[in-house]
Amino acid sequence: MDARYDVELIDVTKRYEDSIAVDAISLRIPKASYCCLLGPSGCGKSSTLRMIAGHEDITEGDILIAGQNVTDLPSIKRGTAMMFQNYALFPHLTCIDNVAFSLQVRGIAKSARRARARGFLDLVHMADFAERLPAQLSGGQQQRVALARALIVEPKVLLLDEPLSALDPFLRVKVREELKRLQRDLAITFIHVTHSQDEAMALADQMVVMEAGHIRQSGPPREVFERPASGFVARFIGGHNLFTTDRGEVAVRADRCSLTTTGGTPAQVIAVEYQGTSVRVALKTEHGSDIFAVLPDQVFFAAPVEPGTATQLLWSVEDEHRL
Amino acid sequence: MDVKAHARRRRAWLTSWLQVGPMALVLVLLFALPTLLFFVVSFFDYDRVGIYPAFILDNYQDLLTTPATWRIYLSTMRFAVMAWAITLVLGFFIALFLVFHIRSGKTRMVLFLACAVPFWTSGIIRTIAWIPFLGRNGAFNTILEKLHIIDHPLEFLLFSDFSVMVTYIHLYTLLMMAPIANSMAKIDESLIEAARDCGASRFQVLRLIIIPLSRTGIALGSILVFTQVIGDYFVVKRMSGGQSASIVSALSTEIQAMQYPPAAASAVVLVIFVAILVAGMMRVVDVRRELAR
Amino acid sequence: MSRPRVREKRPYTFYLLASLMGLYLLFLYGPMIIIYILSFQGPDGGVTFPMVGFSTKWFGDILKPGQMADIPSSFGRSMLLSSAVCLLTVIMSVAAGLGFRRRFPGAAALFYLAIASLVMPSLLVGFGIGLGFQFLGLPQGLFTSALGAQLTWTLPFGLLTMFAVVARFNRSCEEAATALGATAFQRLWLVTLPLLMPGIIGVAVGAFTLSYDEYARTTLVIGSKNTLPLEIYALISSDSTPELFAIGTVTTVVSFALILAMLAFVLRLQRRRTRG
Repeated sequence: MDARYDVELIDVTKRYEDSIAVDAISLRIPKASYCCLLGPSGCGKSSTLRMIAGHEDITEGDILIAGQNVTDLPSIKRGTAMMFQNYALFPHLTCIDNVAFSLQVRGIAKSARRARARGFLDLVHMADFAERLPAQLSGGQQQRVALARALIVEPKVLLLDEPLSALDPFLRVKVREELKRLQRDLAITFIHVTHSQDEAMALADQMVVMEAGHIRQSGPPREVFERPASGFVARFIGGHNLFTTDRGEVAVRADRCSLTTTGGTPAQVIAVEYQGTSVRVALKTEHGSDIFAVLPDQVFFAAPVEPGTATQLLWSVEDEHRL
Repeated sequence: MDVKAHARRRRAWLTSWLQVGPMALVLVLLFALPTLLFFVVSFFDYDRVGIYPAFILDNYQDLLTTPATWRIYLSTMRFAVMAWAITLVLGFFIALFLVFHIRSGKTRMVLFLACAVPFWTSGIIRTIAWIPFLGRNGAFNTILEKLHIIDHPLEFLLFSDFSVMVTYIHLYTLLMMAPIANSMAKIDESLIEAARDCGASRFQVLRLIIIPLSRTGIALGSILVFTQVIGDYFVVKRMSGGQSASIVSALSTEIQAMQYPPAAASAVVLVIFVAILVAGMMRVVDVRRELAR
Repeated sequence: MSRPRVREKRPYTFYLLASLMGLYLLFLYGPMIIIYILSFQGPDGGVTFPMVGFSTKWFGDILKPGQMADIPSSFGRSMLLSSAVCLLTVIMSVAAGLGFRRRFPGAAALFYLAIASLVMPSLLVGFGIGLGFQFLGLPQGLFTSALGAQLTWTLPFGLLTMFAVVARFNRSCEEAATALGATAFQRLWLVTLPLLMPGIIGVAVGAFTLSYDEYARTTLVIGSKNTLPLEIYALISSDSTPELFAIGTVTTVVSFALILAMLAFVLRLQRRRTRG
């Protein structure tokens, strides 16, 4: 059977003592795609990843990888490999022995496994550090080694648990690019857990927004951003204001809002943040709800406002997305 | 600038010296000097009435040429190695169970305390507690007879090498288990998952990850058990029924007979022996750095 | 499609190791339980089975000074000595633990001295100190030679414990206290010591128990009046009665009570801290 999907979750539930971490979610991830699981902490995204990896028992439901039901299989037989949040490098082994570990447990001779591990260290540009211990490496270097260790098992699906969270912002953007390139080159599926919407939008082919053990929306990032399925999704991915109008509850992108003196919704300026190409103006309405507008810099500086100023917020009905 | 930094460093040293001073003083006065003293006395001459300052090697010569000395060292080493091996296996697997198999912190705490509580009862009483248990008419024989497993009471249970070993294991397994459990508790759970992810079997995880990462605890526990057994004189005397002697029980007989110089020579030899053993085990790990991790 | 599953699949090793644990606990408590039972031996019974009646005579005997041993006064001496050892150990180890946070010349030498003192065969420590007192013509006594001998045992233990405790201590709290204008003494008293308190309690409890049980280091330097373990030792060497077992039972009950009290105290300390 040639599967159309690399990963399929069917009514997967994870129950702890008396709480439900993941509540009967179903999800299909197409072949060789980059999928981001996004949500606030405690939404069940990490539990989902760990169930796919086989590190967490599945309470109910099934998981299929490349068409094969792997629900009861151990990690290594699933065709998955995981990169852990703290990298989980073995502190007593050198980089090359860390990478070669999965070959060692398969009983492959030392010289053969080291030669192969060196190839994977090359792939992540870490060959020069082969004989170092993990403690002698920077965070970014440790991550590369962890990546090589995960890739050497030649997984169909690579699972990444918040891989960028321990890196500084500059490195984060660089590693982000590399991950995406690697995923294209290897043509395998990456499932990447994150709580950062920037990261998810930058990387994902498929973006899955989770909350309280449920999937709230799943689709390409652009679709999620332009047509959020609920108030929660709109708030969580950011960049949207939520209003209750006579047409019902609507979401409006903040960069489609403008400030005016008449004909808009009255509000008071709370804060002004200069962001280079744009200016973010935080406002409070008369009802006390927090909204904001993102204005191109020329537009803002043509009619600047200051905190405390009374103003009005304007948007057009076409930009409203009904929830 | 350089001078200032130097003065500041001096001041920091002075603070540290003041802080460690009392402990250093006690250890020098009550440990280092007395040890030096019996080292000196080991070269003294003696007769039935007293000891006389001298520099003779007779005490060492007598000690090392007596076959009994070698026999006793061998017998004590045999006990030490056996007690070490058994407490190591027992302590390691119990620590493994407590740290990696018990999921609730509360259960772990209760089980650990259950292991530790007998430690608060006097070692002497814990030793003699085995007498009514292992004796000819003791609880163990009675149970076996009631169950018709044996017809006659087992004689080897008490006042034998067997009862000495049983007592050592009873007394010292905790000394092995606690440091190992402490090392294991510092192993990040995700390392085990990562190893499983790489396809390691349960046994491979144990051999390639858990054992290497517990080596500090294993070394510390080994040092404690080894030195306790080598330093023992009570258990051997009491539980072997006078059949075995230990290095220290032989030494204590000489001290009671006021034969200080030969006792001191014997003590010096024992100290060198223990020092070599411990130094060997300390080479495996940097105890101080590992404790502070 | 979806099927309910047993929630936790325990590996077979769990059951193997659980059985090992069970057997070990049985091994640990089996003989102890026997002595608890035998401590209620009838007045005519001996130190082995069978039980000849049932009495609390042997518990009463503990309180009576006998010909061979005087348990009540030796208990009193033990408590005094252990309290002194405990106090000195806490003060010296906490100070030394703080001192060891800096590198200073002699640190390694002192560390190895402490390790050596810990692994030294116990009787030899007493032997050396005894010789020293004899040469100097000093009388041996509870608060001189015996106290000193026990400190050579409790101080290394206290120091090693403090290493682990101090390593977990966040120095930025102290820096914050200094930045907020605390004097060195205020910093110690208001910040450092309270934060180290659980570890300090650990050192105190450990030192007290080690001292209370000690006999091998103390036996050659105790002088004329015995501590409790030495008195028990004397009892064993003479003739055995179930009184020994009664002492064991009382010790266990007292240590259980102490552990529970300590646990309650530590838990309250933690709760107050998390609530605060």
